[in-house]
Amino acid sequence: MGENLRCRGMRDMLPDDMRRFRRVEEAFRTACLGWGYEEIRTPVLEHLHLFTSSGTLSPQMLGRVYSFLDWDGWSGERVVMRPDSTIPSARLYGEYLDGGKLAKLFYVQSVFRFAEGDESREDWQCGVELIGESQPQGDIELILLAREVLARLGLDADVRVSHPGLVRAVLARAGLDAAEQLAVYDRILDGDAGALRELQERLPDVGASLGMLLAVEGEGRAYLNNLRSTFVESIPALEEPLDELAVVVGALEPLGCRCLISAAMVRNFEYYTGPAFHLDVSGQKVGSGGRYDALVSLIGGEHVPASGFALEAAVLADLLPAEAPEARQIVTVVARADDGESLASAFRLAATLRAEGLAAQVAGTAPDDGPRVAASGEGYVLSGVSGKGRRLASVEAVAEALRQTGRD
Amino acid sequence: MIKLALPAGDLRTPVADALESVGLKVEGYGEGSRTYILSVGGHERAVARVFREKDIPIQIAMGSYDLGICGLAWIEELRARYPQHPVASLRDLGVGRLGLYVASAAETEGLGSLGGRRGLRVASEFPNIAEAFALAARLPAYRVQAVWGAAEAYPPEDADLAVIAAGDEAAVSAKGLVPLLRMLCSSAWLIANADSLAKKDLSPLLGPLAGSGSRGEAQSLRLPPPLPAGTGEKRPAPARRQSLRMALPDGHQQRHVVAALREAGLLPLAGYDETRCLRRPKSALAGLEIKVIRPHDMPQLVATGEIDLAVTGRDCLTEHLSRFPSSPAEELVDLQRCQFNVAAVVSEDVPASDLDGALAHWRAQGNRMIRVASEFPGIADAFARSRHLGRYQVIPIAGASEGFVPEDAELLIEGTETGRTLVENRLKPIDLLFRSTTCVIASRERVLSGRRRKLFDQVVSSLRMSANAG
Repeated sequence: MGENLRCRGMRDMLPDDMRRFRRVEEAFRTACLGWGYEEIRTPVLEHLHLFTSSGTLSPQMLGRVYSFLDWDGWSGERVVMRPDSTIPSARLYGEYLDGGKLAKLFYVQSVFRFAEGDESREDWQCGVELIGESQPQGDIELILLAREVLARLGLDADVRVSHPGLVRAVLARAGLDAAEQLAVYDRILDGDAGALRELQERLPDVGASLGMLLAVEGEGRAYLNNLRSTFVESIPALEEPLDELAVVVGALEPLGCRCLISAAMVRNFEYYTGPAFHLDVSGQKVGSGGRYDALVSLIGGEHVPASGFALEAAVLADLLPAEAPEARQIVTVVARADDGESLASAFRLAATLRAEGLAAQVAGTAPDDGPRVAASGEGYVLSGVSGKGRRLASVEAVAEALRQTGRD
Repeated sequence: MIKLALPAGDLRTPVADALESVGLKVEGYGEGSRTYILSVGGHERAVARVFREKDIPIQIAMGSYDLGICGLAWIEELRARYPQHPVASLRDLGVGRLGLYVASAAETEGLGSLGGRRGLRVASEFPNIAEAFALAARLPAYRVQAVWGAAEAYPPEDADLAVIAAGDEAAVSAKGLVPLLRMLCSSAWLIANADSLAKKDLSPLLGPLAGSGSRGEAQSLRLPPPLPAGTGEKRPAPARRQSLRMALPDGHQQRHVVAALREAGLLPLAGYDETRCLRRPKSALAGLEIKVIRPHDMPQLVATGEIDLAVTGRDCLTEHLSRFPSSPAEELVDLQRCQFNVAAVVSEDVPASDLDGALAHWRAQGNRMIRVASEFPGIADAFARSRHLGRYQVIPIAGASEGFVPEDAELLIEGTETGRTLVENRLKPIDLLFRSTTCVIASRERVLSGRRRKLFDQVVSSLRMSANAG
């Protein structure tokens, strides 16, 4: 086919991609089950209003969702191909899991967001939601769980932690209203030095050291202590987020998890409510998460604390080495003739061989050196392995002979 | 050949004058010619076509036309949904000045009071701009109602807000609404496809047009700041309705409907006759509340139960049911007025007398994609599926569809009354889909009791008798 029939931004996964993808999925599932999480899957279509009312997606993100009127959407109520799995999980929790109780959920599913050019518009996520846990051990558990998944894949991740309260406190102290806060912060994230300068002018008592908070990444408890001694007197609202981070980092470091502190990391800081983190492998972002305690109540449930993370499954799969397909001997059962009775007999024999733990096919061509078996008189003839055909008396004998050649 | 897209409607005269003032006379354009292919006088290499204003930025973005003239509001409507579109705004022609306002019914206390209110309904002919407003304001669980027109008539009963075009704030107030935010100052702009601008010599038209209007930067949308989160209160449930709500159409169906109402003894209506069209005409029947809106928008309001009864075209009902097959909107009475065929239409040059022949012709020419342009995208889509068009593309348009065939579409799904316009544009029908007529529609799930039920029966039976008498 000369023409590319695939939709832009959509990806086919070939057998090699799938082998690596399944490795990621298995590492993730094994780790999650080990920490007591249970698997869920949510539908591809959701009501758009779930996402516009939850406030966890920025207007820019909501402007890139795939939404449309369903066949019964005459009221104008639109549906959307899930652009995110956290909100559907919170909906599922509210509807089925008796609000107020602790729920430890995980999923492997894709999300759909428009992206320019050939960038991916369908992203697979290995996601975890911890709903109903307000204590810092929840945040710590999530980071350790994410690291364990990566360790199972042989990947070493950098952990960057942050707290939206840091940026919020600085911008509020600078006297900016909600819209100005968003605009200035976007400029800082885009590397606009002028924005930082303007902010410094608005905060003369903090001045040049603001760059240390917003532009520098520090390490662990030591850096947190430096931030506290430099800023808390001028910006008292920084104390609470710094305290929360200190607990999380204070637990992770003794467990061998190095944490970088990056105040200006949380892009949509208006939505997160507590510690947030990113995971990078060889400089590439492979996952992120954080705490958003208002989530369940914003979509109409009770006020329940919630936090979670998502790993980019396809990105991780691409980081893994290619894997040779499992060497499997497939035996081809050759029918005596093309009539129904002979074919039925061949399929029956193949089923019996599969029940013996072998891979057996009737359709398809036997590879040149692959084993073939055919019913002959009262017994069977096995050919294609070690020289000329061998006559065997029973299916069990055929199975044993094939197992033997597999071992050889 | 340079292709220029010109607007039909209110902009026709001022744009024709602006073109003529720089020596570009487009034959027949200012006079309102129904012929949609026009030559630009003195320029053999230029051809102009007339489109509904709303379709022009899309035609330019698709590259079907090199240059176009339309209101900035429609350019922004495209940009709000497709920010990367390849349309360059070249010159403000300074005509057709309008503002784009967010407005509410009188009781709203300013924009700030809307913050955090869940489930607000925003009606607009500019749904993408309305959406951009709602997202920027962080309105939770909002609903945008895309309407064909008369959005100003929706608040407060059928929407909480409307995004409308109006001359100024006083004009918004004159429509009975309170302007909350002016999102844009619009006027007619000369626009170009970016690729044509980069690669094609457009100077025969750009040269003369350089002398008109002004070169300033095109304004962009003024979006609201995030509104305060508020208490998250839901829109209050509407009070139990006491009156019977009926919708009547404006536009070309109006005179036919006035005749039907007269026949049924339902006239006079203060503000709705052959010459006048108020959005809320008064009926002499106590308890009958009437609203005049676009016929296209009625089936939705009937299906949601906002309107109890509506007089619209069967084409509009069929379009609605094609998109939403389980909608409860149904036809109650065929008024047998304003009748026309909805047909599949092709160029006269297609050597076929039926659809199968036309398809065979296009396929023989190597056309893998059949482009179907229509004001009725739902009907067009259902037609394309049921008639096995194979790989097809439905191009939703706002009107003036005759200009699309043959260059920009193979097929039109089109209403034709006498066939004269088709002949003038060298088109021919090859398949009849259905015959449209003015009809009375209601919801099959209607729940009416007491006085409202009595009034409903009275109005429907009067209209039914008038239809039978006719």
